Amino acid sequence: MGLVAVNKVSFAMDESEILGIIGPNGAGKTTFINLVSGIIMPSDGKIEYKGEDITYAPAHERARKGIARTYQLIHPLENLSLIENIMVGSIFARGNSLKAARRKAEALCSELGLRDLDRDTSRLTILEVKKMEIARALANEPEVLFLDEVMAGLNADETKDLIATVQKIAKERKLAVGVVEHVMGVIRELTHRVIVLEAGELIAQGPYEEVSKNKRVIEAYLGGAA
Amino acid sequence: MNRSLARAIAIGAAALALILPLFAGDYPLQVARNVMMYMALAVTWDMLLRSGQISFGIAGLFGVGSYATILAVVRGGMPDWLSIPFAGLFSGLVAFLIGLVILRLRHTYFSIVTMALGEIFRIIIHNLHDFTGGPEGIVIQQGVMFGGKSSHLYWLALGGLAVALGASYWFDKSRFRFALTAIRNNETSAKSSGIDIFRWLLVTFVITSAIQGMIGGIFVQSYGFASPDSVFSADFTLLPMAMALLGGIHSTVGPILGGLLLGLVAEWLKLKIPYGHLVVYGVMIIVVILFMPNGLLGMARKAGKKAAGGQRDQA
Amino acid sequence: MYLVFCVAATVVLILWKPTVLIYGLQTAGLYAAIAIPMGLVLGIVHIVNLAHGEFMMLAAYGTYFACKALGMDPLLAIIPAGLITAAFGWVIFQLTIRRAIKAPELNQLILTFGLAIAFTQVINLVFTSQTYKMPLDYVSSSMDIGELTFGTWSFVFIAMAILYAFGLKFFLTRTTSGKAALAVGQNPKGAAIVGIDVYRIYGFVFALALALVGAMGALFLTKSAIFPSVGSPFTMKSFCLVAMAGVGNIPGILSASILLGISENILRAFRGTRGWADIVFFVLIIVVIMSRSLKGRKS
Repeated sequence: MGLVAVNKVSFAMDESEILGIIGPNGAGKTTFINLVSGIIMPSDGKIEYKGEDITYAPAHERARKGIARTYQLIHPLENLSLIENIMVGSIFARGNSLKAARRKAEALCSELGLRDLDRDTSRLTILEVKKMEIARALANEPEVLFLDEVMAGLNADETKDLIATVQKIAKERKLAVGVVEHVMGVIRELTHRVIVLEAGELIAQGPYEEVSKNKRVIEAYLGGAA
Repeated sequence: MNRSLARAIAIGAAALALILPLFAGDYPLQVARNVMMYMALAVTWDMLLRSGQISFGIAGLFGVGSYATILAVVRGGMPDWLSIPFAGLFSGLVAFLIGLVILRLRHTYFSIVTMALGEIFRIIIHNLHDFTGGPEGIVIQQGVMFGGKSSHLYWLALGGLAVALGASYWFDKSRFRFALTAIRNNETSAKSSGIDIFRWLLVTFVITSAIQGMIGGIFVQSYGFASPDSVFSADFTLLPMAMALLGGIHSTVGPILGGLLLGLVAEWLKLKIPYGHLVVYGVMIIVVILFMPNGLLGMARKAGKKAAGGQRDQA
Repeated sequence: MYLVFCVAATVVLILWKPTVLIYGLQTAGLYAAIAIPMGLVLGIVHIVNLAHGEFMMLAAYGTYFACKALGMDPLLAIIPAGLITAAFGWVIFQLTIRRAIKAPELNQLILTFGLAIAFTQVINLVFTSQTYKMPLDYVSSSMDIGELTFGTWSFVFIAMAILYAFGLKFFLTRTTSGKAALAVGQNPKGAAIVGIDVYRIYGFVFALALALVGAMGALFLTKSAIFPSVGSPFTMKSFCLVAMAGVGNIPGILSASILLGISENILRAFRGTRGWADIVFFVLIIVVIMSRSLKGRKS
């Protein structure tokens, strides 16, 4: 059978809730997001979203249904400008005209603090790249958003900025947001609730304060009893 | 280059192209006809290239259109003018059926299959000997369209080019540009933004193949004859590729620019080294892809950016 | 399951049209021997060399004219042909392909396509499209078994294919350079970190593959006529076989070539279907593409 990367992970997310997804390396967090967003297909089992079976639905269909995610390694579309990168989801996931997509993308950019929109994407600062990636996902007008290690590589101020941004969009758009992060400080500040994955299984859930004291979780991170 | 200047140049060029037959002789008109057909193939090849897929099968689709036209006229009694759009439809249909299969895996698989297309069609035509006239080819009994009048044949070819340019321009201004560029730059990101990659590629492949087939129909109606060797010739794949690469891929203007340059060079080469001209295109393709992959247009843009960048840094 | 099928198929062929089995295997040998080097390059350097068949064509032409000039038999030229083709290929690699390795796949395809065209057209220019053939006695050797007569020379292709397959396997798994090559193929960055000169290995592997191709060019010359575009079907059929076997699967290329060789010869055996033999590889590629994409859907 080989290695089971994700095994019967099941949980609920509420609108406006920011859920932390944590676990040691190799626990299956990114694989989980890839499965939910349709980038990879499960070898077994079912994926349900709002009561609908989307197990074999292709990624672009899931995007249209309201699932969006960001990528850890961000490769912007280099032959499109900054704002055009953001327009894509609006055009194809939501079916907007080019004009409407442009307007919406501009609104998103001003909300997130992005300027000089016709720029080439090779000249963005790292914070701008992260914001662009989030904007790209938001252009889908999703109901669920997964952020895959979006804070990686940011300094303390930039992290604060982005945390505030994420909180704002979750609240204003009534989004359910799943956040994969390794920095516990971010998790503590940003999330309402946390789920913990280890070796593909969900081993704990609850508010960060509780979960961080959970024996099983600590063992998972530190490697268990010798 | 600012918008109104570009527009003025385009209109001027179009006007010039339109009235050319009024003062040019038969030979220049024939050269122009051929150049325009190659240009149209170059533009449509580029249109598919914008999605990141390379077709090595231009000659294949062109040849399919040629045979569709000639067989429709010779075996089916179709009127001349109808046989040309028919070629487009037929090639589009063939591309649709092939694309349904090979666009699922794309990239290298797609490219190699297109490489085989010309050969496969050639074999089919060879085998269906009685219907298609086999390796000796088939002649349109009533002769060439318009009775061979160069000005009319020229305008016919110009019409074909206009269709190709129109389609390319449309691709650049519509959501096609977003879809194809996204697919080319980052398929995963494209998928996550709701793009149905397979569908967009299929549509693009069908449209470009249909136009290529239509040009094949125009070619055959201009010469009144089709044979496997003449219509599935490597010329029809190589020269358009070289034109688009030289001028600058991923644009409408690039293939036109490359087309003008190479088109004139090609005629000259054919006279000087009648059997060697294809070597030149092959070498040209190699040199361009290694040293200036974005063609002349790309180099011009880079130079423009450097100049602009210098100014901006000072501002 | 496969074994049962193969045995059954073999029995059927022997009873019905044994020449199909024999010629099918001979053709399979030819195709496999040419496809294996393409698989090597694809598996380690990760590029599809669209000029693959054209290198063989060049080797064949070179061998023809060298043998004509020196009055020697092409069999003697096999090793020199291999070495010279390897050297030539290495130079081409350093001048062109090497620069495209980091470039998008698009550029590599166009580049090797350009090389294929350049090679074909240079030969066409210099030697025209005339076909050349070496008249040799031993290629018409044949054997009689009962009422059955068949040509035997082409068995050498089977021998070459097997030699290449096992030779490469030995090289890749038992020698230091071979193991380094395998490492580079699996993980170029990791290999670089442990001190392997990745580009040197690329050049070496490319040259090695072309040595095999060049040797086949000389051997091919013994049996077949050559003309400028003789290499192109081999490029496509080699890709078909490599695609069927999967990257890195050399024994798979042997089985795939048997399928291709026998299918083609079944069609060749009957006058009505003879012309369709050369479409088989195309159908097989389509089948491979369909089955790969369906698999991708489910998992």
